[in-house]
Amino acid sequence: MRLEVQNLETGYGKAQVLFGLDLVVGEGELVALLGANGAGKTTLLRTISGLIPPWRGKVLWDGEDLRRFSPARRARLGLGHVPEGRQLFPLMTVEENLRLGAAFLAPEREREGFERVFALFPRLYERKRQLAGTLSGGEQQMLAIARALMGFPKILLVDEPSLGLAPRLAEEVLLSLKRVVEEGVGVLLVEQNVALSLEVAARAYVVEHGRIVLQGLAHAVLEDPRVREAYLSL
Amino acid sequence: MELLLQTLLNGILMSGIYALVATGLALSLGVVGIVNFAHGEFLMMGAFLSYLLFAFRGMDPLLSLGLAFLAAFVVGALTYQGLIRPVLRAAELNQMLLTFGLSILLQNLALLLFGADTRVVAPPYQATTLSLGPFFLGVVPFGAFLLSLAILLMLQVFLTRSRFGLAMRAVSQNRLAPGLLGIEADKVYLLAFGLAAALAGVAGVMLSVMLYASPTVGFVFTLKSFAIVALAGLGNLKGVVPAALVLAMAEALVSTYLPGGGGLVEAVFFLVLFLALVGRAWRKA
Ligand SMILES: Nc1ncnc2c1ncn2[C@@H]1O[C@H](COP(=O)(O)OP(=O)(O)OP(=O)(O)O)[C@@H](O)[C@H]1O
Ligand SMILES: [Mg+2]
Repeated sequence: MRLEVQNLETGYGKAQVLFGLDLVVGEGELVALLGANGAGKTTLLRTISGLIPPWRGKVLWDGEDLRRFSPARRARLGLGHVPEGRQLFPLMTVEENLRLGAAFLAPEREREGFERVFALFPRLYERKRQLAGTLSGGEQQMLAIARALMGFPKILLVDEPSLGLAPRLAEEVLLSLKRVVEEGVGVLLVEQNVALSLEVAARAYVVEHGRIVLQGLAHAVLEDPRVREAYLSL
Repeated sequence: MELLLQTLLNGILMSGIYALVATGLALSLGVVGIVNFAHGEFLMMGAFLSYLLFAFRGMDPLLSLGLAFLAAFVVGALTYQGLIRPVLRAAELNQMLLTFGLSILLQNLALLLFGADTRVVAPPYQATTLSLGPFFLGVVPFGAFLLSLAILLMLQVFLTRSRFGLAMRAVSQNRLAPGLLGIEADKVYLLAFGLAAALAGVAGVMLSVMLYASPTVGFVFTLKSFAIVALAGLGNLKGVVPAALVLAMAEALVSTYLPGGGGLVEAVFFLVLFLALVGRAWRKA
């Protein structure tokens, strides 16, 4: 499975945000997408998921143009998306939130999904009857990721999972994504925490003003003087 | 004392139907996000269906219940598909004008077809009453109350156990996430709107026996349902039952104790609506 974005342009109303962006994510690789606030990272993920239509360019799923596919249909194909702000169902329990992640699958797969996410996040198992809205920030983020994993995505988009988390918890969440990748899922990770995400990622892209300005292997990007200056303040 | 208890009993028996209709309204409001002024017209259609089946086929209203559920579901689903879906993204005022217009259209259509007379479905057991010590229980209101509770219980199980039910609650809590999880919100809306209409349709059958079928019987219920939903709090399905109980009891008390109460009963919902809205604004401030 291979997700490919070609020459993508889009925006809101008349304001263009993405100016011809190219990117590839394969199965089983963790790719980091870095960039300052307002660079267009969330906009890119939303366009890949079909929440925003592209003005130009394409989103390809194993070479197939997804243009006419609704977000839900893309999800059923195996494109997962953990959106900015988690977007949980606050008045439903952890278990119910998770069930909704598997709502389009056969019931047997649901059980399999529960085993998988509870192995990854044992803390969610302990809290499965708790309302999602009453979880701590870190637990909510774990639930958002787990809920997306319940649908057995092949490629998973994750938007700023460490936002608002204490450093230790942020690390825990990113390491859990690494384990997801080891299970064969391709992850496109948007992060502000540049040092940490370059530690777990294999490759990285850097976006500025809606354009990719730098890409390569994570350690190479980490060594790049521009990155060190702009994002790591070294 | 006995009069008071009998009055409260009457109120309780009426609350089941109120809860049924208002739950439907709350579903279309909470899940689909539509203010449906034509909700009571689904009830009116259920009442006339029951009347037609009784008058021309001799069908017992108990049997009409299932048929009315299905018929109202289909009508609701078609209404969603043809009228509501195209305006989902429109301004709220436009949506309200549309459902208000639909309500008037359906009422006048019924007037054209059936005339303004009230039609009562009178199965043999219609006037039967049970006496419980000093109290009287009409078999029909009592049956309608139990049936309403049973239907609401089944709805509760559906909403908490089945995937479709979970999806309905999910859509009402977050509009963005369901799509990203592979759930087509549009299908959930269709189902919710159909179900909302079906609940009203079933209530219409009960009313055709307890009260009557008439072109305008539904609209009053739309207004009362709005009062109940306002009292329960938007999006609070569980609060609908107690809120329905409050309205029905208040109406019963007014009709028994206020001189000329019979005429004032139909204004009680307005007082409830007013107090609920003022109370809510008060708490927010
Ligand atoms: N719904 C919207 N309507 C109009 N403009 C928007 C909307 N969402 C985002 N924008 C604008 O698009 C640009 C890119 O926003 P986007 O959310 O993609 O940035 P980001 O890289 O995700 O930033 P952050 O790291 O702060 O999340 C910003 O200038 C933002 O103001
Ligand atoms: Mg963002």
